[in-house]
Amino acid sequence: MKRSVFGRVWPNATAGVLFAGFVFPVYWMFATAFKPTGDIIAESPVWFPADVTAGHFAKAVDADHFWTLVLNSVTVTVSAVLLSLVIALFAAFALARMRFRGRRGFIVTFMLAQMAPWEVMVIAIYMLVRDNDLLDSLVPLTVFYAIMVLPLTILTLRGYVAAVPKELEESAMVDGCTRTQAFVRVIFPLLAPGLMATSLFGFITAWNEFPLVLILNKDIEKQTLPLWLSQFQTAFGDDWGATMAASSLFALPILVLFIFLQRKAVSGLTDGAVKG
Amino acid sequence: MSVQTEGTDTAGEPAVHKARLPAPPAGGDGGSAPSARRGAAAPYLLLLPALLATLILLGWPLVKNGMLSFQNLNPRQLIQHLTEWNGGDNYREVLTGSDFWHVVERSVVFTAVNVVLIMLLGTLIGLLLARLGKRMRLLLMLGLVLAWAMPVIAATTVYQWLFAQRFGVVNWVLDRLGWHSMADYNWFGSQLSTFSVITLLIVWQSIPFVAINLYAATTTIPRELYEAASLDGAGAWKSFTSVTLPFLRPFLYATTFLEVIWVFKAFPQIFAINEGGPDHLTETLPIYAFVEGVGNQHFGVGAAISFLTVLVLLVITSYYLRMVLKQEEDEL
Amino acid sequence: MKRKLAAAIVIAGMMVSVSACGGDDDKDTGKNAGPDSFKGQTLTVWTMDGSAPPQWSKDVRAAFEKKTGAKLKFETQKWDGIQQKITTALSESNPPDVLEVGNTQTPAYAATGGLAELGDLKQEIGSDWTPSVSQSSVFDGKQYAAPWYFANRVVIYNKKIWAKAGIKDTPKTRDEFFEDLDAIDRKTDAEPLYLPGQNWYFFDGLTIGQGADLVKKQGDKYVSNLGDPKVSAAMELYKKYAAYSKAPKDKDEATPQQATIFAKGRTGAFIGMGWEAGTAIQANKSIEKDLGYFTIPGESADKPEGVFLGGSNLAVAQGSKKQALAKEFLKIALSDQYEGRLAKLNGVIPNKESLESNLEGNGAAEAAAPGAAAGGTTPLIPEWAAVENTPNPIKSYMTAVLNGKSPAAAAKQVEGEINKRLAQQN
Repeated sequence: MKRSVFGRVWPNATAGVLFAGFVFPVYWMFATAFKPTGDIIAESPVWFPADVTAGHFAKAVDADHFWTLVLNSVTVTVSAVLLSLVIALFAAFALARMRFRGRRGFIVTFMLAQMAPWEVMVIAIYMLVRDNDLLDSLVPLTVFYAIMVLPLTILTLRGYVAAVPKELEESAMVDGCTRTQAFVRVIFPLLAPGLMATSLFGFITAWNEFPLVLILNKDIEKQTLPLWLSQFQTAFGDDWGATMAASSLFALPILVLFIFLQRKAVSGLTDGAVKG
Repeated sequence: MSVQTEGTDTAGEPAVHKARLPAPPAGGDGGSAPSARRGAAAPYLLLLPALLATLILLGWPLVKNGMLSFQNLNPRQLIQHLTEWNGGDNYREVLTGSDFWHVVERSVVFTAVNVVLIMLLGTLIGLLLARLGKRMRLLLMLGLVLAWAMPVIAATTVYQWLFAQRFGVVNWVLDRLGWHSMADYNWFGSQLSTFSVITLLIVWQSIPFVAINLYAATTTIPRELYEAASLDGAGAWKSFTSVTLPFLRPFLYATTFLEVIWVFKAFPQIFAINEGGPDHLTETLPIYAFVEGVGNQHFGVGAAISFLTVLVLLVITSYYLRMVLKQEEDEL
Repeated sequence: MKRKLAAAIVIAGMMVSVSACGGDDDKDTGKNAGPDSFKGQTLTVWTMDGSAPPQWSKDVRAAFEKKTGAKLKFETQKWDGIQQKITTALSESNPPDVLEVGNTQTPAYAATGGLAELGDLKQEIGSDWTPSVSQSSVFDGKQYAAPWYFANRVVIYNKKIWAKAGIKDTPKTRDEFFEDLDAIDRKTDAEPLYLPGQNWYFFDGLTIGQGADLVKKQGDKYVSNLGDPKVSAAMELYKKYAAYSKAPKDKDEATPQQATIFAKGRTGAFIGMGWEAGTAIQANKSIEKDLGYFTIPGESADKPEGVFLGGSNLAVAQGSKKQALAKEFLKIALSDQYEGRLAKLNGVIPNKESLESNLEGNGAAEAAAPGAAAGGTTPLIPEWAAVENTPNPIKSYMTAVLNGKSPAAAAKQVEGEINKRLAQQN
């Protein structure tokens, strides 16, 4: 197909503008975090920080128990994601590959579960956890985060499982694999990108969660980074250098994770999240 | 290599290439009668963990929440562990007050505006991705992924900084563009401007999901369909409406459904930006439930509002849910 | 009550330490020290960010552990979200044993049944508590907390800017104050006053100065009295002050911390707590030498402006299993020695008049003292606490007036919300 010069230029030009638009807030966060205060509150913005300082980061890290919170956040997030992936994988396999009564009922159930208003159920959850003597523990956080992301994880994985050609599984079974073996040896490896893509959603949800940990864990040793970030903002609201440094630290692990996992995962996403 | 050596097998390779030996005689997993019954039970067994988890960890809080919504539950009752049933008083209070219906209306309009923007722009950007050369596509993808991955709490802080009254870069740019009254503009002082910032934040964060997935979906459209269309003399627009769009339709429905849920439930974005202010004017249903319930320590009323929130969301999404029910039926 | 205070720096830090006085009474009390049953127990005390200076906590802990043999753990709480935290904590089986509760919140918590009655403690050590500050701890005629410390706002000003504007002396009347602010406006490029639109406790002080009541009784219920002309007069005064400031009209003094703005040295004055000077110094060391304080002036020189008398009480959780030990702690923390020490270190008003000598030489506290005499609080009814929940309708009222609405119209706009909150069942 022949295209005019204009026809070739405009997609690239638009893409450039869009790239700038999407990246700018992220860039501005990092840029502000590294700028000396004088450059942050300059009459006209300093677009590219010339002087770089790590002072804001030092201030951000200088919180009580910062590293404990980091460890807690990582523990809870990773455990929750793994837990939900394992549970979801079983369910997704059944929903994608098997025929049984009530199948669509289950699918719709998970779609409904997806609508759960977690933020406004915190008091109910608090009372349940309190009455079971599980306050100030990472366990309830982990399981609740896992369940928060479970419905979408199931629905997404179901698409990935369905996308693995059934013939592969069948031929494996013809070759003597049991259904379990066929799953482990044929489907699972092909699902890897799907699992990665799905885990991204879990990571970002669990890493961000705030209202529940706020009410469940009063012991600072059992808190997570979102609490630190929000308290930091309250205390240093006007100090944009420090708040941006704190935000950068908080965002960095997820940004890196996305860039790494996303490229591998994107190809599979289509059939994933997509097929209701 | 055979299936018997599975213990030493590398899981990474597709097993079809390896399995050559005949199947071993039917063992415990063979086709005997009990196993057939097990086969029938298999899907339920596989679903069991997910169902149990959902039932316990979501169902139980939901039921508890439902019970609380029929109680007079304030700090005194919470502290003393008192249960004071008050019938439908909480619901009566919420439904007869003028606030609730305003909030519902606002939530619906807010959701509609955001979802339309997200789907429209997301689709356009997804189609643009498909048209770009490889390098430019990777660049734009990178930008999208960064926006997508920004944790919400960090993103709201950054937006507050971008739109800060003093030294905020947005006000500076508007001033430079000749809009001098914006030099010291307070974005969080009025309903419309606060909503604008929130909408921009949500749309910015949500477009990547739609765009990237849509692009991935377009790559799976078989070339032959386009070739056939052009043989029929279809132009660019015609082949878009006759090939691309029908192919993407299920995807668009599903994504719209998810975006409706996500936008409707958006909580940290709105709350962290201005706590539903100014004057409660940017409270959507989840924020309203939180402010009345947790903020005002009027927990029973909060529970009632959250229950109503779910109902409203169900009504909004019922069209799609019905469609799924029918479609799944067809498949089976 | 101080809200959201980030870090209180002890202004009187350089003052002579009084720890040397501790010696002799320790010996007496050592003998009839608490029963051995206290051994091995740990008492948890929640104090708010900035309330308990580290040195004070350390010495109180040492004295407590020596006397009782039990351990003492101070846990510092942030102001943000504190209500939810206290409410839920009081409902738990292991609540903090002793906790600091703001005086405006105390009646509401007393009404929940979450606080232990402290009548016997009051009899034992509280006979000389200043009645006006002890009042907030009394609910239904019973004592539910012990008054701990109090504070009220003063004007904190930048001497350099005032000198530049040619002002010789600090103002004694409100009119003089306005003249001085005018002078700063004319003769310097500084912002005369930093006053955000929602410094609601300053506004509360103005209503107290006008003799206005924020609520009135209608039948057996309290309803908003915001439409009262006296309240409107107070709001007009606020508006006049705010006209000297470029601060945002829809923010309070803590977002951002006004002291950190002041610390930049481009602001003539702000209205704040004495400890906020410490925040300013922390933000900019060089501001320290320019800091000055004076009492918020009123109509005439002999009558300073009304102020909100903020403060904190110490309460014992009803659910605490260590009631006796908690009371031992209160006896030590509120003893003349440590109460006086706290007053001195933090420049706050102690719970009895006999200890006020500790404030001598503390500029902020000396400026605060005349105001305290004319001080008042928010309505001391359990229903009141709900009114101050975020978003506080009175703050909306203030912003509306500053944006041009008449006080009467703005009052009408929020009264429904206030009445709704006052009518909330407990």
